[in-house]
Amino acid sequence: MFHALQLEPVDNVATVVTEVGKGTVLTIQTPAETITLTSVEPIPFGHKIALSAIEKGEVIKKYGRPIGRAINSIPKGGLVGAHNIEGVRGRGDLVRKQGASK
Amino acid sequence: MNSFLGFPRPGDMAGTRNHVLVLPAGRVLSIAATRVTDYVAGTKTAITGGAEVGRHKKDRERVARLLTGFAKNPNTYATIILGAKKGFGYQETEPYNLADEIAKAGKPVEVLTVEECGGLDRLVEEGIALARRYVHAASLVRREPVSADRLMIGVKCGESDATSGIAGNPSFGRAADLLIKDGGSVIFSETTELIGAEVDMAERCADDADAKRLLEMVFELEEAAKQTGEDIRGINPLPSNIAAGISTLEEKSLGAVRKAGTSKIMGVLEYATQPKKKGLSFMDGWMSAFSLPMSLAAAGCQIAIYQMGGDVLPSNDPPMLATNNAVVAPLMIITGNPRTASKAKRSIDFSSGAIIKGESSVEQMGEALYAKILSIASGEVTKGETIRYSDPLEPYYLGPVF
Repeated sequence: MFHALQLEPVDNVATVVTEVGKGTVLTIQTPAETITLTSVEPIPFGHKIALSAIEKGEVIKKYGRPIGRAINSIPKGGLVGAHNIEGVRGRGDLVRKQGASK
Repeated sequence: MNSFLGFPRPGDMAGTRNHVLVLPAGRVLSIAATRVTDYVAGTKTAITGGAEVGRHKKDRERVARLLTGFAKNPNTYATIILGAKKGFGYQETEPYNLADEIAKAGKPVEVLTVEECGGLDRLVEEGIALARRYVHAASLVRREPVSADRLMIGVKCGESDATSGIAGNPSFGRAADLLIKDGGSVIFSETTELIGAEVDMAERCADDADAKRLLEMVFELEEAAKQTGEDIRGINPLPSNIAAGISTLEEKSLGAVRKAGTSKIMGVLEYATQPKKKGLSFMDGWMSAFSLPMSLAAAGCQIAIYQMGGDVLPSNDPPMLATNNAVVAPLMIITGNPRTASKAKRSIDFSSGAIIKGESSVEQMGEALYAKILSIASGEVTKGETIRYSDPLEPYYLGPVF
């Protein structure tokens, strides 16, 4: 049994498929092997866990593709979600900000 | 090759259902169409939201393509069009123009008008009489074994959560690959949910012109999204997606396209149009559960599939987010989330929830799902089909209105 899945080797996040508390040693299924990682905070079912420390501005990868960038630094074993990453596509809010600054 | 039990239709087609369709030519006839279909067993109608008045030609054509598409769909045995009078209204939805287009499928079609029947009440009476004759004639057509290459299914994913991209969509993708290997066809859509995954999808197009059109569709939609001045995350992913662990549109898109399997994309279709080639096609479309399934049926799909995440739905027998909204095509609801499967037992037709529990593989679940699809194609009713209710339908209009 596993607690989380890493979908592609380049991904820096894994998807947690069970409710995980703080300080849990997770078994993570990667495409090649099974690894372990300790959560530094609770991770709800379906949410993402950082497989390594992620710097602010760093690209988040899942499915082997970019899904956005970090808006804060995220510790290894931390929850990765809408509170600390943002998408870069379809961002009308950014268009408006650029327009307003002109 | 796999097969199913289908109703033979002209032009080497086969239906998974055998409906008589009563179409209102314009919303003003909805009242008559619903009276006829309430009264006569074995009938279907399509009541769309969004009046056609004040819409430009492209949008009027969209309504016409939906209506004629339901009639041409192999699941329809015959069609009755209810109109005001000959030549009334916009030409795209003029009753005799609709009938001419539908007649190309070689199936029975007849127009009844208020003018010729002598009033709205009389139109309802004559509609009932004709519908009853058609339903009886339809009953004389028997299911027979036909090969799976006559089957076209459409898919939408919704109420997405983390299981969608890992289990539910990949299982459907596997089933889609198996059907396509048997010579059948699959349509996926939801243009917003190509944003972030469009380059991979364009590379899978067999034809360069299709690849170009696919990228263009995504570009136009992303530009329109930017014009709103909002972060698209306020629109899509939906709040329920974010609560379920999907943080960005790119993440949602990359999970969503897993439902397209691994086959080559043989066609990139405009909204509510029928594919020219067998195999996998992408169709421009709006993700709404109240819009997309009927659009897939209008494109000719004999089964529509709603691949649901559903983790944030209420915990016991949640209402499904649209019921029987593919008009003439059965809507099959599937999930890759074992929690959704157990709380929505009365609504879910198939679960690939064993994957995230580590008890099964995408390959095994894809095969099981394909077998289930063939069973539903052969006459097994979906759980949604046991309910008489149909949700109101929303065409995907370009707008604006005038």
